[in-house]
Amino acid sequence: MAVDLGQMAELLIAGKVDDVEKMTEQAIDDGMDPSDILQKGLIAGMDVVGQRFKACDMFIPEVLRSAKAMGAGMKQLRPKLVASGAKMAGTMVIGTVKGDLHDIGKNLVGMMFEGAGFQVVNLGIDLDTQVFVDAVKEHKPELLGMSALLTTTMPKMGEVINALKEAGVRDQVKVMVGGAPVTEEFAKEIGADIYGANAASSVDKAKEVLEA
Amino acid sequence: MTFRTNYTVNKTTRFRLLSEDQKARIYRGVIKTLNDTGANVFHDEVREILGKNGCKVDGKRVRIPPEVVRDALASLPPTTTLYSWDGNEEMCYVEPGRSYFGPGPTPPNFNDPDTLERRPYIRKDATTVARVCDALPNIGYVQSLGSISDVTNGLADVYEFADMIQNTRKIIMNWAFSEENVADEHRIGIVMAGGEEAFKQRPNFIHYSEPISPLTSDVDAIGKCLYCAKHRIPQVYTPCCIGGATVPATHAGQIIVAMSESMVGVVLSQIVNPGTCIIIGGVQSILDMRRTIYSYGAPELGIMSAAFTEMLNYVGLPMYSTSGCTDTKKMELQSGIEAAFSIHMAMLSGANFVHDNGYTESGITGDIFQTVMDDEIIGMSRLIAGGVEVNEETLAVEEICNIGPGGHYLYEDHTMKWFRHHWQPTLMDRNSYEDWDAQGRLTMKDRIVKKTRDIIENYEGPASRVPEDAKKDIQKILDKAEERVRSQS
Ligand code: B1M
Repeated sequence: MAVDLGQMAELLIAGKVDDVEKMTEQAIDDGMDPSDILQKGLIAGMDVVGQRFKACDMFIPEVLRSAKAMGAGMKQLRPKLVASGAKMAGTMVIGTVKGDLHDIGKNLVGMMFEGAGFQVVNLGIDLDTQVFVDAVKEHKPELLGMSALLTTTMPKMGEVINALKEAGVRDQVKVMVGGAPVTEEFAKEIGADIYGANAASSVDKAKEVLEA
Repeated sequence: MTFRTNYTVNKTTRFRLLSEDQKARIYRGVIKTLNDTGANVFHDEVREILGKNGCKVDGKRVRIPPEVVRDALASLPPTTTLYSWDGNEEMCYVEPGRSYFGPGPTPPNFNDPDTLERRPYIRKDATTVARVCDALPNIGYVQSLGSISDVTNGLADVYEFADMIQNTRKIIMNWAFSEENVADEHRIGIVMAGGEEAFKQRPNFIHYSEPISPLTSDVDAIGKCLYCAKHRIPQVYTPCCIGGATVPATHAGQIIVAMSESMVGVVLSQIVNPGTCIIIGGVQSILDMRRTIYSYGAPELGIMSAAFTEMLNYVGLPMYSTSGCTDTKKMELQSGIEAAFSIHMAMLSGANFVHDNGYTESGITGDIFQTVMDDEIIGMSRLIAGGVEVNEETLAVEEICNIGPGGHYLYEDHTMKWFRHHWQPTLMDRNSYEDWDAQGRLTMKDRIVKKTRDIIENYEGPASRVPEDAKKDIQKILDKAEERVRSQS
C-alpha cells in the first residue's frame, strides 16, 4: 500500500516526530518521488501549521514539535532531493556571539528554520568570530544566523561579517541577525542582509531574500 | 488595660498559596534534583571548593547531597543590616517580614524624561534614576533601570554604580560583567563607606548576579558569587526562568529548577563564608507561546513569585521577587493594571526585595515614570497589607456611645489622632469634577509626568554631601578600570 502523504501531513501537524520519520523512509523505499514527498507530505503539513499558528489555533511548542517532525523527515529525504536535483531549502548555521550566553531565542529561531525545511547547524553560544567563519567554510550554508541579546555583544556580529569578508566568503552566504536589543538599523549598519525581529517572521523574511 | 489570654491577632493581611504538604513536596523535588542531577558549574575553583565540602563533582557537574544543603541553610544569617553610605542610617534589614521595592537592572533602553520616547540608556540616566528613587518614599532600594551605552564597552556597570551611589543614600543593588568589575564596585563601596573596616561593619550595596536556567552556573556568574562570599558582600543569586522554555511549563516545576540552580550559590557562599548574606528568587514568568515574549505582565509572574516566596520562607531564605513591570511600550492602562497586580501579590506574599518596578516593554525599556507610578501603588498596597488593627482604642466603642445616633466625628480627639493613618494619594485623582476641570483635566499620565519632572528638576539629593576626597578616589578607580580595559583589548 502506497504511503498516504495526506496522512503524513496530518501526523506532522500533530507533531509525531517518529511517525513522520518512519513514513518518509517508507515513502522513499516505495520509490515515491522525493519532490512529491516533500511538497505533498512535509510542506503541506507545515503550511497548515503556519496558518494555524497565525490564527492562534496552534502555539509555539506545538509548532516546534511539528518543525522537529519536518526536520526528521528532511533528514531522510535530503540525500534523495540532492540526488534528484530538486529544489529545497538549504543549510542554515546559527549561533550566539562571543561573550553572550543567551540561548533560548536563538534555539527557537533555529527550530523554526528546521520547520521551514532548512538543515540547521546550531553552533551554540559564546562563540569566537573564527568559529562562525570556519562553520561557513565547512558547511557552505545559504544562511548564517547570529544572535546577540546584549548591547555589549552586538558589535561582535559586525566583526563576524568583516571576518567573513576577509576570509573571502561573505558573498557565499546571506547573513541574518537578531536578538532583543538588535534593530533593523543596526542590522543595516553592520552590513547584514536580514534582520529578524522574532522567530516566525525571521523565516518569512529569510525565504524572501533567499528566493529573490 | 484589660488583658486577654490566648488571643490571636492578625497584624497583617494573611495570604497563603501553598499548604505545608505542597511546600514539603516542592522542597523534596529540589533536594532530589540537586542530589541526583545537580548543576553544571563552569568555574574550576568553585568546583574544587564544592568538591572538598561534600558535593560530588564529576567533570563540570556538581551534585549536592541533602546534608550539604541542610548545613548551608542552617548557616544563613537570621538578619543582615545594610546602611546608607554615610553610615548614619540603617536602610534595609534582610530578614523575614521586611519588604523593599525597587527598580530593576540593565534594560538597553530608557524612556527619555523629556521626549517620552525610548532611546538607548546613557550615563546621565543612572543619576536621574538614583535621584528620583531617593525622593520616592515607597522605593526601598535602588537599581539602575538600564545599562549605560555611552561609556567604554565593558565598564557600564562600574560607571553606573559610581554615579548612582553619589546620588542616593538608599541601598543600591549593583551588577557587574565580571569578577574584576565587582572588585571595582567593591572599591567604590569602600570609598563611600570611609574605609574597608567601615564597609565591613556597614555594607552599602547588594550585588546581583544570575545563574542560567536550566541548572547552570557560568564562570562569570558564580565567580561574582564567590567574590561576594569571600568579601562578605550581601548578594542576590537569581535566574530569569522562562516557563515552558528554559524550565517546565508548570509552576511547581519551575520553582524546583529556579530554587535548585540558585542553591549552588547558597551552598557555595555558606561554605566560603558562613553567615554571609545571600538572597535568591529572580524573575519567574512564562514564555508567551504565541509571540515568544518573556512576559513581565503575565499573571503567572505574580502567582509564581508569591509561591516561590513561600518556599523560601519555608527554608529560611530571603526572596528577591518581581513587580511593577509591564509588557506595554507606553504608559497606559495596561501598564497600571499589570503593575498593580504584581505589586500587590508581592506585597501580600511578603517578598523581601522586589525588583523591576519601572520595567516596560518586557524588560527592554526602563521607565522612571513607571517607577513613580509604582511608588504610588506600593503605598496603597502597603496600607492593605497592614490589615485592620483591633484593640480597645481602635474599637472606639467609647466614642461611638458618646456620639450616639446622629452627630458626627469630625471634632473628636480620636479622629484627630487616627485620620492621619488614612492613605493620602499623590497621583490618584480624587478631585471634584469642577476642580479637575479647573486644574486642566489632568490624566494619570499627565500627573505622573509632572511629578517625575518636578523631582528631576527640584529634588536635592545627597550628591553635594559626598566628600571631595571620595569623589577623587572614585575617579581614580574609574581611571584604573579604563586602563585595564585598554590593556586587555
Ligand atoms: C539569526 O537571526 C535571528 C533572528 C531573530 C532572533 C535571533 C537571531 N535571536 C533572537 N531573535 C528573535 O527571535 C527570538 C524568538 O522569537 C527572540 O529571541 P529572544 O531571546 O529575544 O526571546 C526569547 C525567546 C525569550 N527571551 C529571552 O530568552 C531573554 C529574556 C531576558 C529576561 C534574559 C534572560 C532570560 C537571561 N539573561 Co539577560 N536576559 C535579558 C532578557 C530580557 C528580554 N526581555 O529580552 C537581557 C537581554 N539580559 C540582559 C543582561 C544585562 C544580562 N543577561 C544575563 C544573563 C541572563 C540569563 C542567563 C539569566 C538568562 C538567559 C538564560 C538562557 N538560557 O538563555 C547576563 C549576561 C550573561 C551573558 N554573558 O550573556 C546579564 C549581563 C545580567 C547580569 N547582570 O549578569 C539585558 C540586556 C541589556 C543590554 N544592554 O543589552 C536584558 C535586556 C535584561 C534586562 N532587562 O536587563 C527574538 O529576539
